[in-house]
Amino acid sequence: MFRSKRKRQTRKDVHVAQLEAIVGPTEILYEREDLLSYDCDGFTVHKAMPKAVVFPKNTEEVAAIVRYCSVHNLPFLARGAGTGLSGGAIPLNGEVIISLGKMRNLLSVDYENRQAVVQPGFVNLKLTNSISNKGYYYAPDPSSQYVCTIGGNVAENAGGAHCLKYGVTTNHILGLEVVLPNGEIIEISEDGIPDSPGYDLMGLLTGSEGTLGIVTKITVRILKNPQGKQTVLAYFDNVEDGSRAVSGIISAGIVPAALEMMDKTAIEGVEAGAYPVGHPDDIEALLLIEVDGIIAGIDEQIDEILTVCKSRNVREVKVAESEEERGKWWANRKTGFGAMGAISPDYLVQDGVIPRSKLPEVLRRIKEISEESGLRIANIFHAGDGNLHPLILFDSRVPGETEKALEAGTACLKACADVGGSITGEHGVGIEKKEEMRFIFTDEELEAQTRIREVFNPDDLLNKGKLFPTPSRCMDVKKVIKDTVAVK
Amino acid sequence: MAKSLAAQLKESAPPCADASPSNYLFKDHPDENKWADCVHCGMCLESCPTYLETGKEQHSPRGRVHLIKSVAEGQISVNEHFADPVFQCLDCRACTTACPADVDVGGLIEEARGQVRKAIPLKGWKGAVSGFFLKGLFPHPDRMRTVSGLLKFYQKSGLQSAVRKTGALKIMPSHLADMEAIMPKVKQPVQKKYKDYKFIPAKGNPKARVAMLTGCIMDVMFSDINESTINVLTHNDNDVVLPKNQTCCGALHVHAGDRDMGRKLAKQNIEAFQEEGKVVVNAAGCGCALKEYPELFKDDPEWKAKAEVFSDKVEDISKYLYDTGYEKPKSTVNKKITYHDACHLAHGQGVRHEPRQLLQDIPGVEYTEMANADTCCGSAGIYNITNPDMAGAVLERKMENVPEEVEMISMGNPGCMLQMALGVQKYGRRSEIVHTVQLLDWAYQKDKENIAANQKAITMKG
Repeated sequence: MFRSKRKRQTRKDVHVAQLEAIVGPTEILYEREDLLSYDCDGFTVHKAMPKAVVFPKNTEEVAAIVRYCSVHNLPFLARGAGTGLSGGAIPLNGEVIISLGKMRNLLSVDYENRQAVVQPGFVNLKLTNSISNKGYYYAPDPSSQYVCTIGGNVAENAGGAHCLKYGVTTNHILGLEVVLPNGEIIEISEDGIPDSPGYDLMGLLTGSEGTLGIVTKITVRILKNPQGKQTVLAYFDNVEDGSRAVSGIISAGIVPAALEMMDKTAIEGVEAGAYPVGHPDDIEALLLIEVDGIIAGIDEQIDEILTVCKSRNVREVKVAESEEERGKWWANRKTGFGAMGAISPDYLVQDGVIPRSKLPEVLRRIKEISEESGLRIANIFHAGDGNLHPLILFDSRVPGETEKALEAGTACLKACADVGGSITGEHGVGIEKKEEMRFIFTDEELEAQTRIREVFNPDDLLNKGKLFPTPSRCMDVKKVIKDTVAVK
Repeated sequence: MAKSLAAQLKESAPPCADASPSNYLFKDHPDENKWADCVHCGMCLESCPTYLETGKEQHSPRGRVHLIKSVAEGQISVNEHFADPVFQCLDCRACTTACPADVDVGGLIEEARGQVRKAIPLKGWKGAVSGFFLKGLFPHPDRMRTVSGLLKFYQKSGLQSAVRKTGALKIMPSHLADMEAIMPKVKQPVQKKYKDYKFIPAKGNPKARVAMLTGCIMDVMFSDINESTINVLTHNDNDVVLPKNQTCCGALHVHAGDRDMGRKLAKQNIEAFQEEGKVVVNAAGCGCALKEYPELFKDDPEWKAKAEVFSDKVEDISKYLYDTGYEKPKSTVNKKITYHDACHLAHGQGVRHEPRQLLQDIPGVEYTEMANADTCCGSAGIYNITNPDMAGAVLERKMENVPEEVEMISMGNPGCMLQMALGVQKYGRRSEIVHTVQLLDWAYQKDKENIAANQKAITMKG
């Protein structure tokens, strides 16, 4: 409808013409300029051009596209809003990108059974917005929830600030409709009944980073809004005290809905961004703590949190006095990554997980890494569940800085793995961390997982080159990376 | 163990970088510092009307920024495929509100349009229309007044009703015929009415002197709003000056990529208002353009400095009234009213609260907030003429959000008023479209009438 009448310069290749026959002429992109916007997702270090981008409107079209690609040996992958931070939607092998942006409807809500059915391109926050008038919400809240899609959340098993208490995406998925890499459509737990007998395929698919199938319909759990909610902001003069306050709150037996931390550099970023709160510029760390649930008991928990903070030398601690103030604190936190643009041309965000007790130690190590690399590192993280997000600030225009940033990122993940942690909490492995998988898995363990992939995706046409290092084919991967860098 | 990604990148880096790979061939090209702030996070996507409509990245803010950057990096050139996403943008600035890093996407788009128009001048009917309005008409107050006369003649002589009856409108493209149908009733321009006035005096003791931008289309099609603005300002003890040499603000030219004309008009306005301390504007698009004059003079320090002084003086009428105080009317306007945020007021100037407060200070007003009030209506300057399909789709979404029961939709921009009037007509709604100051003016008029009536009653009793 909105296509301008311009002369086509590229002669359509035969596959493009066939795919166009499936989705219609307005729902496919294949000109170089149009494809360029799809050469990366939220992970910008790496770029590669797709063969085409198609916009199916329903499951049948997705299946037809997948069948076509499978028969003709064309690599393909699925893409939601393209906000992923590990490069899961980057077409490393010149894939046909199947954008699920046109499948963006809320199909049904069943309040009685507390579930909703959505299409994969439905935006996370829109679900909460659509059911909030009835007093319900969807719990997983990645910071990109304003724009990211639930399909993408399933692929990455996305987390978020409130996952400390409520669990990550996998804890909220009740059923999936999936197009397998051969084009077959399957339903897992069709009626959204949990714990169906047999293997937990839903668990396997959730977080499989788009390597096992393409999700085309999702049944999710919806929750009743908590009766009450209170939010605390605490400023600390050193990171150590802040970290000890985190452990103190958890060991006091409180399970906050969220327990977030930012360090000095991160605070500088969010204060320079679009949603400043007015945090003092000379504090070393802040905690954002939220408690929710039935009203009775919340005040006691808040009192206890205040006591813990005070015992850890807090400089200032306050409870949000209004919903407006609370909203301001959260907007400041949730736009934190993007706000780094205000203090640095590029950033690389890492996603390590560590035991909470190791926070001070790992943060010290990250500081050393920052000094060694000469790059600033901001820390914004879900302190409550030990999910660190070191943001490595760099300028890709300065020769060598991108590589330095990647090296610093790897070193941060190593630091997490060394204390018994993991290399990803919620952003996924994608391209970014596939080599680092070796920090936590042996060759045998990786091989076992690759074999699972082969059951679903035997020809490795779907999202090839993601999630696992490819031991037997590492020369091929290197070639691909070389090619993509040359394009860049 | 396989090498890390960093090591692999290092090995494959080109031996030397190209000195100047940019494919922008003209001066005043998109500013690198603007896109350097964009980290491609995607938080802008859902704010963008054209992305919501198409679902395609190149029609999203971050996609456009990516393309603009790619031209500078020499990956693509300034051609039709680049021009399409750059010109599909409504320039509504919703993305700048959504952006966590305050990336000036609007500024980048306008700079990119400048490059496109220099590389590929407009041809065909779009070129003719754009040339006629943007070059031949808007910048010339005398010609605008002639048009005003002609339009008035068209409406008053019965020609309008004759044309509507003959079906001559049927041969026009449908969106233009739609627009004819909602053409407001043309009255006398204030520049003509007050041409012998040095200034229009405050009602009481003058507390301030303000200059007013009368605008080009505003004073022809919407002179009654200009009249209301003057009334409201004088009612609240402001002397109002209408500098004679002022001209069209140039917003439409800059949106269309004609930055040279934009600069010419900017210079004329900067000089016309040089003696004034405050410039009040009742059209959001114009106000925003005036505030952004310094952007046009990036490479001209002398004029940049002048433009900065000037833009600091510019204020939207609702904000000016809110900041300097206004009398709350006593008479009631018993209407159910909602408010539409003009993009260039909410996103462009950050004015959201003030006009709402103004409306709610009028007794009797039953105010309802519209969902997604700050989403573009599709007017976007002359976008609804150049991109009718997209403008229509955006309007449809807007109208879905207008509460059924409202009797009036208030806003602060003439372009929006035309577009929303079109929406009301097209979707069979009955709401009246009004400018916020008009409502205030009507309430004051009612106050005056009531006082007069009371006095008459007293005199009669006496």
